[in-house]
Amino acid sequence: MLLRLMTYEWRNLSADRTPLWIALFLGLTMAYGTWNGSQWVSFQRETIEAARQEERERLEGLRREIPLVEAGERKVSAFTDPRLPSAVGRGPGARYVVMPPYGLGALAVGQSDLYPYYFKVTTGSKQTFLNNDEIENPVHLLTGRFDASFVLLYLFPLVILACSYNLVSAEKEGGTLALALSQPIALPALTMAKLLPRVGLVISMPVLLSLGLMAAGGGDLRAEGAGIRLALWVAITVAYGLFWFALAVAVNAWGRGSATNAMVLAGLWLLFVVLIPSVLNVAVKAAYPVPSRVEMIQAMRVAGDAATRQGAHLLARYLEDHPEMAPAEKGGAPDFGTLQVAVNEATERAVQPVRDRFDAQVAGQQAMVDRFRFLSPAIVAQAAFNDVAGASAGRYSHFLAQADIYHRQWRDYFVPRILRKEKLAAADVDRFPAFAYREEEWGQVAGRLGVALLGLLLPAGLVAGAGWRWLGRYPIAGS
Amino acid sequence: MKMTLLIARKEFTEMLRDGRFRGAGAIVFTLLAGALLLGWQSHREVSAQHRSAQEATRAQWLQQGKKNPHSAAHYGVYAFKPQVPLSLVDHGTDPYTGVAVWLEAHKQNEFKYRPAQDATAVQRLGELTGATVLQLLVPLLIVLLTFSAFSGERELGTLRQLFSLGVSPAELAAGKALGVAAALGVWLVPAAILGSVAIVAASGGGEVMAAAPRAGWMGLSYLLYFGAFTGVSLAVSAWAPSSRVALMVLLGFWMMNGLVAPRVAADLAKSQSPSPSAFAFAQQMQLALAKGSDGHDPGARAKALETELLKKYNVDRPEALPVNLLGVRLQDSENHGNEVFDESYGALWENFAAQNRIHQRVAWMAPGLAMRSISMGFAGTDFAQHTHFAKAAEEYRRMIQRTMNEELTHRAPKTGAPHLAGPELWNKVAPFAYTAPEAGWVAERQAPALGVVAGWFAGSILLAGWAARRIRVV
Amino acid sequence: MAYHVQNIMLVASGLSKSYAGKVALHPLNLRIEPGEIFCLLGANGAGKTTTINLFLNFIAPTAGKATIGGLDVTKEPLASKRLLAYIPEQVMLYKNLTGLENLEYFTSLAGGRHTASELAGFLDEAGLARADAGKRVGAYSKGMRQKVGIAIAIAKGARALLLDEPTSGLDPKASNEFMATYDLFRAKETGTRVGIMKQGHLMATYTTSELGHSDLERIYLEHMHE
Repeated sequence: MLLRLMTYEWRNLSADRTPLWIALFLGLTMAYGTWNGSQWVSFQRETIEAARQEERERLEGLRREIPLVEAGERKVSAFTDPRLPSAVGRGPGARYVVMPPYGLGALAVGQSDLYPYYFKVTTGSKQTFLNNDEIENPVHLLTGRFDASFVLLYLFPLVILACSYNLVSAEKEGGTLALALSQPIALPALTMAKLLPRVGLVISMPVLLSLGLMAAGGGDLRAEGAGIRLALWVAITVAYGLFWFALAVAVNAWGRGSATNAMVLAGLWLLFVVLIPSVLNVAVKAAYPVPSRVEMIQAMRVAGDAATRQGAHLLARYLEDHPEMAPAEKGGAPDFGTLQVAVNEATERAVQPVRDRFDAQVAGQQAMVDRFRFLSPAIVAQAAFNDVAGASAGRYSHFLAQADIYHRQWRDYFVPRILRKEKLAAADVDRFPAFAYREEEWGQVAGRLGVALLGLLLPAGLVAGAGWRWLGRYPIAGS
Repeated sequence: MKMTLLIARKEFTEMLRDGRFRGAGAIVFTLLAGALLLGWQSHREVSAQHRSAQEATRAQWLQQGKKNPHSAAHYGVYAFKPQVPLSLVDHGTDPYTGVAVWLEAHKQNEFKYRPAQDATAVQRLGELTGATVLQLLVPLLIVLLTFSAFSGERELGTLRQLFSLGVSPAELAAGKALGVAAALGVWLVPAAILGSVAIVAASGGGEVMAAAPRAGWMGLSYLLYFGAFTGVSLAVSAWAPSSRVALMVLLGFWMMNGLVAPRVAADLAKSQSPSPSAFAFAQQMQLALAKGSDGHDPGARAKALETELLKKYNVDRPEALPVNLLGVRLQDSENHGNEVFDESYGALWENFAAQNRIHQRVAWMAPGLAMRSISMGFAGTDFAQHTHFAKAAEEYRRMIQRTMNEELTHRAPKTGAPHLAGPELWNKVAPFAYTAPEAGWVAERQAPALGVVAGWFAGSILLAGWAARRIRVV
Repeated sequence: MAYHVQNIMLVASGLSKSYAGKVALHPLNLRIEPGEIFCLLGANGAGKTTTINLFLNFIAPTAGKATIGGLDVTKEPLASKRLLAYIPEQVMLYKNLTGLENLEYFTSLAGGRHTASELAGFLDEAGLARADAGKRVGAYSKGMRQKVGIAIAIAKGARALLLDEPTSGLDPKASNEFMATYDLFRAKETGTRVGIMKQGHLMATYTTSELGHSDLERIYLEHMHE
């Protein structure tokens, strides 16, 4: 019987072309959002390709230059000698560490427009290369992107609310509710029959579109774990949609008029999508204040000055700690490159506590957000969408950790050679450490997304349950 | 007029007695007050940090000891973006532009450390600032207060009664608008007073005088904007067949205006006036710079300069020159660099400005874009004022370089023997002082946006009057 | 599942309803025998619609109970509704569907399954022109909508009929009827028994065959003036 009732509801909906408009609106916005996201992905890919091209040419140049300098055919200063590890490791030989956009990156831009996705690792200290921000009009960063995740977070709930805010109230106002309920059917069952075609239509649209657009070239489904992640994207979308439907039913079940329902639901939308996130943002910043980076700049500068002042002394101490790195021949003032090694080392060591404090505060903020995100399905969904698309801060710190290890490898290669005053040969260029980004384990991502899914289904279930109960007490007649 | 006031009073009384609107108004007020207080607190902390950092960087400069002027030029100073008091109302683009720039030899650096990078992704969903409340929530409150202004009276049957009494539609509309304004005023006037107190408390010395006209412009613009929203709401309420339709239409407009249009405008601006990648930008700048000497390496340009100098002073070897060749060469390289920077950064900033101009064209359809621009502008947190500061910092950098290079040119021994300068030279460089532009400067740049808001205000009044005259009574 | 109740009765025993202390219906004791047509007379707000709503279980009684064919409507809400049909004063239908589709929808709600020709037959029986049955209800007059309402009752094979303020040409075939109206003449013509309600009280009941027209009018006015 439910099926037959649903076909009537569908026919009723189709009469004023509601399904068509919904399909059109969600279809266009999703397609546009995904296209926009894929533009950003290709922008990143092109930039990465350009960087790699530049790296290839630069290293090729080194291979060419070294024999020329060795043969004495070219005169160079100590700053630009391609044979000196101190000169090469500082820039001309540097390689890029790159976090390529994930295969599903077109789904959500997320935080990826805020954090650098590639940088040139040198023998210098981390802070000299870490802030390789992409150029973007700050107004656009402030605004955020029109991507698939925006459509799902903001517009999708509005479509859901627009087609279900008067689910029951319209029948009451239209007078059909009394006639329908004088038949042997209970209101919850009738509501279900009215709800399911809407759920089917509104939720299946973005699900099918995400799958379709990703399969049709918007994404790279061969990426590691892409299948699982896409499946979880779909699951999160469905759960998020169900939450909003449940909310609409619960509000309808109160028995207020359509206009009141619309106001209440608009208010709830604002509460969950805008207010709770902004208040949480403020609360998190108050609980774990990140001092202005100005403080870190100062710390770096002070540490750098101190290290420079006692450079020679630092070097002596450094060599005491690492006797194996001492140059073969004794005597003579340490050269600029050698001193720089010691200064870098000391500066980095002195700044590390300050840097750690920043990281700890940001990590504290993230942990608090992770805990309190369940207050608003929008926050849960946003984090989950970013996670699927590989645009989360989590993936960025995963990348940073790898870059950190690589930086150490880079230094481990160059520093001993600098201290031993070795000279590089053309063949050495190929032995410079190289970086390859390892994607996060899909199990880890799936674990996080699983929690998010529960965090959406549980409130959806609770709200739906409450709505169901209230429907049983719905004031069919009178006030 | 008397009739209008009478209607306004009735509307006002009715709204004050409605628990829903009292609740909604109280929430908006609480959020606004909270946002202002938080803004004031963070402004106090951040501006104190910036001030002390600016003093520290100055002290470091002065106490750098004896060294070669060019080493000092490399050492450089930092410039920290000051926070103007009004930024506590609207952070604008501040979280997304860096807070500090290193002013060193040879290079115009980018601003580093965007505060948003030290926040979680939740920040992207929304930030609780005065601007958020004023630009998103207050218009929503207006919509909720007015969507049933006409349609509700028609549904209740009181509209026919009103018109039968000889009330004119224009009087009715004006009365309703005044009633809404009064109801909003109950919440917004205390908030504005609170905000003013916060701004005064946040301002040091002469800053209040500078902040006052900016606050005036900002407040006036917000009033016009709220007026426009009220007018549109009343017009829709009169036009719509039912309250339900009026609410749907207005919520749709609110959402398009506040959420969709800014993103679409950003995309449009990017496609019309694409900005380069940071990589391409740096590469292109590197290429342009490589065409000159960088002061360290004798290149073709350096050789040409040397020949030119020898010819000018009519000597045959560099040591015989009355000036130090290295100093001249360094300054020459700076001059070349400055040309390149002016061109590269000039083009980049013009590119962003062109994008922002496209936003202002879209704003004719979504006035929220114009209001956002005006608000950021007078708060001193828009991109134009970021570049204004960046330019001042760059000027200061160039002044340091000139001072150091002149010292080298005229004082350093021509033999190339080491030359060490001391505190007298460092003191020759005046401390960095920055004055934010005046309100008039901002108003001039915000003229298109001000035009949009004023246009919408005027248009919405006409629209409301027109819709009220054509209203269906039953 | 079918309920073969041959002789069904509508019974209200001590049935009352109050809203926040305001009594809308004082304890009502009423028995409507099979085959009877009972008309409730009274002004607006006398409690007629409240009584009907209580029988439909649209509102919960404050005290007492209403039974249909022996089924307590609050305990067996769905089973009791299978036995009755309800025709409100204004039959409201889905304006985007045709009369036929509306009929099919509402009979589906009742769990019935009918062929297209059967449904058309019900509409015929209710007096709706064939040509109109295929039109969207948005274009229907009040009377036409009421005919669809009657067709729904017919299709359901209801054993009891609840009519709220019927106005015109109703001739439904059901074993008994419960009618609330303010129309004296219709009550006299169609009813077998009339009850007069005022301010939530059932003042009196009369068998129409025992009364002349003027009697009814006199009694009614008396009650109204008290």
